[in-house]
Amino acid sequence: MDRRDFLKCSLATSGCLLLPGVSLSGNLFRVINPASTGLSRVEARYYQKLPDREIRCNLCPRYCQLGDRERGFCGVRENQGGKYYTLVYGQVASLNVDPIEKKPFFHFLPGSEAFSLATAGCNLHCKFCQNWEISQMRPEQVKSINLPPEALIAACERYRCPAIAYTYTEPVVFFEYMYDCSVLARKKGLKNVVVTAGFINPEPLADLIEVVEAIKVDLKSFNQSFYTEYVRGELQPVLETIKQIARSKTWLEIVYLVIPSLNDNPQEIREMCRWLKNEIGPDYPLHFSRFHPMYLIKNLPPTPVSTLEALREVALTEGLHYVYVGNVPGHPGENTYCPNCGKLIIERYGYAIRKKELSRNKCRHCGQVIAGVWN
Amino acid sequence: MKKSKVVIITAGSVFKDNNRPEAGIILAMYKKGFKTLTGASQAEEALTHWFRTDETIGIKINTIGRRALSTRPETSLTLGLWLGQTLKQEENVILWDRTSEELQDAGYKLSTTGGSLKILATDSRNLGYLKEPTVNRNIGSLFSRIQAELISSSISLAILKDHGLAGVTAGMKNYFGAIHNPNKYHDYNCNPYVAELFEIDYIRKKHRLTILDALRVQYHRGPSYHPQWLADSRKLVFSTDPVAADAVGWKIIEDLRAEKGLPSLKEENRQPGYLFTAEKMNLGQAQLENIEIIEEEI
Repeated sequence: MDRRDFLKCSLATSGCLLLPGVSLSGNLFRVINPASTGLSRVEARYYQKLPDREIRCNLCPRYCQLGDRERGFCGVRENQGGKYYTLVYGQVASLNVDPIEKKPFFHFLPGSEAFSLATAGCNLHCKFCQNWEISQMRPEQVKSINLPPEALIAACERYRCPAIAYTYTEPVVFFEYMYDCSVLARKKGLKNVVVTAGFINPEPLADLIEVVEAIKVDLKSFNQSFYTEYVRGELQPVLETIKQIARSKTWLEIVYLVIPSLNDNPQEIREMCRWLKNEIGPDYPLHFSRFHPMYLIKNLPPTPVSTLEALREVALTEGLHYVYVGNVPGHPGENTYCPNCGKLIIERYGYAIRKKELSRNKCRHCGQVIAGVWN
Repeated sequence: MKKSKVVIITAGSVFKDNNRPEAGIILAMYKKGFKTLTGASQAEEALTHWFRTDETIGIKINTIGRRALSTRPETSLTLGLWLGQTLKQEENVILWDRTSEELQDAGYKLSTTGGSLKILATDSRNLGYLKEPTVNRNIGSLFSRIQAELISSSISLAILKDHGLAGVTAGMKNYFGAIHNPNKYHDYNCNPYVAELFEIDYIRKKHRLTILDALRVQYHRGPSYHPQWLADSRKLVFSTDPVAADAVGWKIIEDLRAEKGLPSLKEENRQPGYLFTAEKMNLGQAQLENIEIIEEEI
């Protein structure tokens, strides 16, 4: 047994304290000192076999058609001899205890912590990706630890986190692992939250919705040409995802990363807000997040706060009830205000909750029901 | 406009009884190909057209098809050793691909020994990828340190194959193995990505020569191995024009497909349009009428 095996054992067994000395927030990887592990070989779901050992992946709207030994756009699912495998089942490339507000979820168990994880890979290629060092990599190119679902749940319980967050990269590409963990977590009374770009087909999404409690969708733009040029994806399937989640019992929040000059057109934002209000109603939170130069877009400045404020005003004017400014700690736009009486009901500073004026799910001042999952 | 030159050398007896290529015949094919391409009287003299004796030469092979359908060791080792011995710098020749596992599965044994030919993978110890992505048009990728830092000149020694997405995989697309995220560049028949990747200085300024291993050609249902659509073509293709070499490779595949009664790549809506994009980017000639094809046999 080497150091890595020892740590894997520590994660998997309940007899010893997990990673002693680690604080309840921060990157667990710094302590674990992971290495590149082998790839998993678990048969993927949502694919069909084709003649001549080819397969078609039906997980996301790309429908990758692959010959033997080829991988999909995501880089983490491979055809081996006419059978399709996920290479990242249990291969965790990032592991942290995060405030749920970091995802961000503002209307879902505020003030709680989420045991947050990701594997390598993504089915998009955003030029502004904030986590590209794991999302845009193949699994053999990143350090990871092997963490089977049982070990993950045990670790989450040990850290007393009420929820597991599948986040950082694109959980759709590690669907099988996320799904199995979610089923197990639910049996243990833990909640599951997903942070996704929403580029997934309706059938797997329908299955996912059944086992998770909240999904945050990154809506990258309300413009197909932006999706084509900067995301390498399609807008319409993401909109369908948003509608499908809103029709379910799963909680939904939407994040829009505002990139100066690329997707900050107020008229386009107005159209997006109208669409959201018409299709899913005014009660799902919308976060306008601040962009910081990253990955392939380093020639643009961080989003001016004034832009975020202006877009928030557009969304409020269009009748959305909960509109936030993100990545600007201390900004009043981080707070929740009652859509009826207008009073402050949750005061935040960054990821911290400073004040909560809620009585169960109602505004303490006027009794208005505030949409969300509060307990 | 001056035509680009592409040389095809065919050796009917290249395969031995055990169905593996004969190194001596392969070497003769290289020598004839180099002489014909440069007009030099001696093949060794031809090498000096492209390489200085003090530089490190990378030979990018393609081993994704494992043992069944990769650049064969007989083909690449023969070239690497001859190159090294002729230029008196064997240790400055590097045969390489992206992973150790693929190299080994294709029949290669990794070698880092000083004084002799090196066989390396990007995932070999202390190598890996550059830390920052290189950006060019639609490409954003981490480059293998072998291509970016270790070598100063490059030969693309690619196996010629039909490709379900790209249409054809040959010398230019071989450089997909020099970046960390080739899976991001397979839509739209790899167009414009193959051309845009080649345009990056790490490749364009170092690339000297394309050699296509067309000894056996997977002309249908590639890049995977399907023996029923594999033809013994017994050819090596040479050119200093990377686009022209691949255009001729495409023609070889189309000829085989026509001979077997298969539809053309255009009819299957997967012709390698990246070659025409590459031509527009002044990387070489894609139109056959602008290419002088010289065919010889040994």
